[in-house]
Amino acid sequence: MDSENNKEGSALPAQIALYIHIPFCQTKCPYCDFNTYAGIEPLIPSYTKALTTEILHWGALLGRPRVSTIFFGGGTPSYVPGQSIAAFLDAARRAFQVTSDAEVTMEANPGDLFGEGVASLPGLGINRLSIGVQSLDDSLLKVLGRRHSSQEAVEAYGAVRRAGFANVSLDLMYGLPNQSMEQWRDSLERVLSLLPEHLSLYCLTLEEGTPMQQQVRLGETSEPDPDLAADMYLMAEDLLGQAGYGHYEISNWAKPGRESLHNLTYWHNQPYLGVGPGAHSYLGKWRFNNINSPREYIGRFGNFSKAEATVDALSSEVISQVPTVGDVETIEQPMEMAETMMLGLRLSEGMSLDGFASRFGRSLSSVYGEQIRELTSLKLLEQRDGVLYLTEHGHLLGNEVFLRFF
Amino acid sequence: MDIDRIRNFCIIAHIDHGKSTLADRMLELTGTVSARDMMEQVMDQMDLERERGITIKGKAVKMNYHGEDGDYQLNLIDTPGHVDFGYEVSRALAACEGAILVVDATQGIQAQTLANVYLAMEHDMTIIPVLNKIDLAVAQPQRVSQEVQMAFGFKEDEILFVSAKDGTGVSQLLKAIVERVPPPKGVSNPLRALVFDSAYDPYKGVVAYVRLFDGSIGKGSQLLMMSTGSNGDILEVGNFLPKLTPVERLYAGEVGYVATGLKNVRECRVGDTITLTEQPASEALPGYEPLKSMVFAGLYPADGDDYLSLRTALEKLQLNDAALGYEPETSAALGFGFRCGFLGLLHMEIVQERLEREYGLNLLITAPSVAYQVLMDDGTEVVVDSPAKLPPTQRITEMREPLLALSIVAPARFIGTVMELVTARRGEFRRMEYLQGAVSQEEQGNASSDARVLMEYRAPLSEVLMDFYDQLKSRTQGYASMDYSFQGYQSAPLVKLDLLVNNQPVDALSLILHRDKAQQQGKALVEKLRTLIPRQLFEVPLQAAVGSRIIARETIRALRKNVLAKCYGGDITRKRKLLEKQAEGKKRMKRVGNVEIPQEAFLALLKLER
Repeated sequence: MDSENNKEGSALPAQIALYIHIPFCQTKCPYCDFNTYAGIEPLIPSYTKALTTEILHWGALLGRPRVSTIFFGGGTPSYVPGQSIAAFLDAARRAFQVTSDAEVTMEANPGDLFGEGVASLPGLGINRLSIGVQSLDDSLLKVLGRRHSSQEAVEAYGAVRRAGFANVSLDLMYGLPNQSMEQWRDSLERVLSLLPEHLSLYCLTLEEGTPMQQQVRLGETSEPDPDLAADMYLMAEDLLGQAGYGHYEISNWAKPGRESLHNLTYWHNQPYLGVGPGAHSYLGKWRFNNINSPREYIGRFGNFSKAEATVDALSSEVISQVPTVGDVETIEQPMEMAETMMLGLRLSEGMSLDGFASRFGRSLSSVYGEQIRELTSLKLLEQRDGVLYLTEHGHLLGNEVFLRFF
Repeated sequence: MDIDRIRNFCIIAHIDHGKSTLADRMLELTGTVSARDMMEQVMDQMDLERERGITIKGKAVKMNYHGEDGDYQLNLIDTPGHVDFGYEVSRALAACEGAILVVDATQGIQAQTLANVYLAMEHDMTIIPVLNKIDLAVAQPQRVSQEVQMAFGFKEDEILFVSAKDGTGVSQLLKAIVERVPPPKGVSNPLRALVFDSAYDPYKGVVAYVRLFDGSIGKGSQLLMMSTGSNGDILEVGNFLPKLTPVERLYAGEVGYVATGLKNVRECRVGDTITLTEQPASEALPGYEPLKSMVFAGLYPADGDDYLSLRTALEKLQLNDAALGYEPETSAALGFGFRCGFLGLLHMEIVQERLEREYGLNLLITAPSVAYQVLMDDGTEVVVDSPAKLPPTQRITEMREPLLALSIVAPARFIGTVMELVTARRGEFRRMEYLQGAVSQEEQGNASSDARVLMEYRAPLSEVLMDFYDQLKSRTQGYASMDYSFQGYQSAPLVKLDLLVNNQPVDALSLILHRDKAQQQGKALVEKLRTLIPRQLFEVPLQAAVGSRIIARETIRALRKNVLAKCYGGDITRKRKLLEKQAEGKKRMKRVGNVEIPQEAFLALLKLER
């Protein structure tokens, strides 16, 4: 890394998005390669303490910037006791200026959404739930190693509504081993009949080293057909469009006004802070992540008290001194531009030429003119009224577009 | 030293029969190299040789032997252990009066054993048969001894038993060399020295490894290469101990080196005769043949920017490798590169490996081709060594392809297997012989599964080029061995098979083959390519064509989906790295028209099951 750049500081961000990582799961799904663990529940109390400390530490360091979205991701945030969630939110409110209308999302497993727990969540300040339904076909849920049934998922949704949640997102997965178009259509139609505000549809990715990838490699599980997955995507686009959902990002649909504000922060390439083991952050011109191991994470924050004083400016030195930070990467302007393209073009709002120019002080065409000409001729990009968009055809070929900016 | 006390000999053996180890033991026993300095196989110096366990270039060494009746000068000339064509071995043999025939006592006679013995017999040499590896439990010295007696007519008491590994029998062998190999004959004038190898040295220029037949040579005179007519100033002469060690003069009968002052090994070729400019010999020593490239392939830098580095590397390599030919070639698919000529596939592999290892180049090599003789309608004849250069069919009246004499030794139970393989490669059976010769008919019936057989064929070089040897080995569980020699040209109904990617012919994927094989090869090739070329943003037809006739077709369907679904917890870096990897992969591909073809696809021809 360029040492010159390390010394050079960045102004403190006035506003950030806050991601809180919960690395606990009751069981680990065979396709998952996220930083999450089953069987470390005894760590939850000390983890709560460490994470609370980390939140307070950052709040003090950054001088209490404004936070208008909080996202509990995992892992399974719904799996940890409500007191832990309450402690994190309390710490966040003390550490940051959390706006009164902040979007506070929690990822949840359908199986965890019965009983007392779910009813208490709105009172803590959670106002949006993202539920990992994944499928409404029991045989596919089994393939995915989920611990809920389709009926439980539907019942959980009912419980969530009764608890008063007015902003609910459901996750579904497609491109699964042995999944048929009929199964997919059925899951989609039944999910739509529930009238969620938001839907995320994720194509299964066989990640290196996961049990499912291993099974496919050994021929024990059949490999999903990417063309069939493409057909599934197109069907979903159709059905969701008819049902009145806006396709605002490659994998995300929402009723008007119900887009995920937190995730929009990522796609707009705006600053965010991730806390908890393995969480990623982007502040100033640095991307960095916390170390993965929950045990080590707890160890490093065990004897740490919150930072004494706000720093004058951000630098990689300041970031590296936070005891849980692992890798720090400096993002210079050319990389920032490429990342902005990669993220921004995922959105249906597209990449505004004016927006790009005012952010970087250079016109988009002076930087990427050649790529844009090629991609336009390939019918992957189109430009309308000063905005650059992925074409409909380009949605499924996004990588072919994005990789040309690197 | 008195010429009667000189013995010049070489060691001939099938690959891996222990030639180099035996040489090491002799060096040790004669005190030429102390045991302490003894690195394993001193005579194989290049890394590549050590790794592959083969001798690429012949070397020589002078040993002093204390015999019972005084000292002798023993000159050992190491022959290449595996060669594409026997010429270099033949030159090494021509420099000696005697040959030690090493046969592995665990394996018996192999194809190259036969080929080498026949060569030695042609040169009228004294042959000392030696069975090696007798220390191994699986050795069958008696059976192999019988085999050697039967096959070559040696007497039982002529055969020596040694273990080069532990040194058993090596001193008896040295004694036998002195006793059996005749001393050289020579006259005092004029100078005639046979070049049996040469190497380029940045300080001394081309160093010729020579055997003096007549006359003597020393520093200061001017030399004349009798076939090329080049003149050079002799900068130094000396012996191999085994390091180059200068002496005042070399005399008739001796083996040594001459620093010629020449700048390029092409001016001082193996097989040529050195004489003196002032007092030239009237006739060169017999047997000089210019080296002929038999196998041709396009060499392209994987990264086009490396073109000049590749040219420089080839220039340097050629200084030391008279058999390597190259000329610039341009491929629509691969860009700028060189058409290179090699002695054979092994030579090609070695050159490729040296370019990559010693010069750090990343290379693309096209499917090897042979040189065809093409008779044109106007009566002229052209030589075509690249499918891309084949004239239009309507102008060709006849095509001839190079032919090999192929000899294969294998246990009798594999006769059918070998026959099947060779026939599939358009081989023509010539004759067959059981190596245990004297076994009666009935015994032969009983022992036939164990008996070993020599099978001789004629087959087109192009059919043996690619994976023939590997196939032979795998189908005979490693038991078969093979040797071959060039047999001239033969007329054949050959056609050019073109490959069209997205309706554009890709020159680097064309090949010349027998008419009857076009259909099946074309089909196999497009099928293979379909798996090697990734899906593009549009549908890509793949066609194999002979002339304007499409004989096979496949389609690569358009890529429909390549997008990352999830952006997990803000891990943008991971997403970006994935894209960077994809972008990097694209950069390594070659663009033909608007289709991106990965480098492996150009090797498809090499990987085809035939």
